[in-house]
Amino acid sequence: MTSKTATFGLSCLVNGHKVEREIPSSRSLLDFIREDLGLKGTKEGCGEGECGACMVLVDGLAVNSCLMMAVQLHGKELVTIEGIKGKDGGLHPLQKTFMAEGAVQCGFCTPGLIIASEALLRRNPKATLEDIKLELAGNLCRCTGYEKVLSAVEKAKTAK
Amino acid sequence: MPEIIVKPATLKELWKTLPGLSRNRRYLAGGTDIVTADNAGVERSECWIDISDLPELGGIKETASSIFIGSCVKISAIEKSAAARRWCPALLAAIPHFASPSLRNMATLGGNAANGSPCADGVTALVAEGAFVHLALKGKRRRLPLKDLFLGPKRTALKKDEIIAAFEIPKRKHLGAYLKIGPRAYFGISKAAVAVSVELSGGAVKLACIALGSVAPVPLYAVKTSAWLAGKKLSPEVIRDAAALVKAEVSPITDARSAADYRREMCGVLLERALDSFQS
Repeated sequence: MTSKTATFGLSCLVNGHKVEREIPSSRSLLDFIREDLGLKGTKEGCGEGECGACMVLVDGLAVNSCLMMAVQLHGKELVTIEGIKGKDGGLHPLQKTFMAEGAVQCGFCTPGLIIASEALLRRNPKATLEDIKLELAGNLCRCTGYEKVLSAVEKAKTAK
Repeated sequence: MPEIIVKPATLKELWKTLPGLSRNRRYLAGGTDIVTADNAGVERSECWIDISDLPELGGIKETASSIFIGSCVKISAIEKSAAARRWCPALLAAIPHFASPSLRNMATLGGNAANGSPCADGVTALVAEGAFVHLALKGKRRRLPLKDLFLGPKRTALKKDEIIAAFEIPKRKHLGAYLKIGPRAYFGISKAAVAVSVELSGGAVKLACIALGSVAPVPLYAVKTSAWLAGKKLSPEVIRDAAALVKAEVSPITDARSAADYRREMCGVLLERALDSFQS
C-alpha cells in the first residue's frame, strides 16, 4: 500500500445530511470539516486539545476535532456549529444569549464554546453555574473573559 | 500525519491486515496523545491502525468476581457506568481530574496505559484498584498485573503489535480516593497524584493499595507503604507515619512541571488527605 492509494471510504451524517466521501485516510477530522466540507465555523487554535476552538459534536458528545482522525467519524453523526440551530431554523437560544450578553469579542473561541455548552445543556438542562464552569474547562477565551460566557449559558437554560 | 491509517472492522481482520503494513506502525485509540504528538512533530509512524471502534475492545462487562473495562471504552462512558461506579471508587474519583470533558469523550484507558506516561491519571487509579491488564497478540492472550506493564517513561511490556484488550478489576468491597496537585484545579497535568484503595474491617485496614503518579519513572505501586498499612487502624499517628513512609518510596524529578522536593512532600500530604477521608 502506498500513500497514493491510501484512501478511505467515509460514510457519516453531517448536520443531518448523509455524506459519503473518498478521503485520504490520514485526514484529521478538523481538516475534513474545514477543507473537504468547507465548513469554516470550526476553528483550529492550539492543535493539542487545550483550547477547544475546534470542538464539534460526534454522536452528541463534544470532542476536539484537531485530535480526532476523519476515519474515526465513520458510521457516526457529526454536528458542527453550522448545524446548531433553533427549533424555528433561526438562531439557537445559546447563539441569542451569547449575543445579548456580549459574550463574543473576536469570536474565535465562540463556536467551540457554543458546542460545549450545547452538549452540556442537552445532557443536563438544569446545569448549575458550577456544572457550566466544569464543562467549559477545556475552552479557552483570550479576549472576552468568562463571566459573560457563563451568564449567557445560564440564560440559555430558560431561553430554550 | 502518517501516510496511511487503516481501520479493520474486527480483531480477526486486524491480525490479517498486519503483514501488509509498514513495520513503522502504531495503534490509534482515542488519539488524544498520539495525534497531539503528531501535531507537535514528534510522532513519525508511517502507518496508524485505528482500533478505536473495534467491537472486541468496547463495552464494560461483569462476571461474578470481576469487572472488565474494554481498552477502547471512552473515559466519559466509564463515568456513566453503574458497575464502574460501584466497583472502582478510586478510578471514578480520578475521572474529574482526567484532562477535560471533551477529551474524556475521546480518550481511553487503553491509550492511557499504552502511552506509558508516569503522569497518566487513569492508569495510576487503576493500579490502586489492583487491576489486571489483558493483552492480545494474534491467537495469544496474556494477563498481567497492570503495575507490571510499565517499565519506564514511555516504555511498556507490550510486544510489537500486541494490543491491550481490557482491564480487569476484581470485585471487592473497598473505599477509594484520587487526589492530584496540578497547575490549576482542573485540566492540568499532575505535579503529583495519589490513588488509594482500602478494605476496612472493624476500623482496621485489611488491605491497602497505594499508587502514585508523576513521582517515579512509572505509575508507581507503593509496595512498602501499602504492605505497612495492612492490619493498622487509621489513627492520626498511623496516617502520619504512612505519609512519611510513602515519601521515602517515591523518586520524583525536577522538570518543567514541578520540583522534586515539592513533589515528594506533596505525596505525603495527598496520602494523608486520602487516608483522612476514609476515617469517617
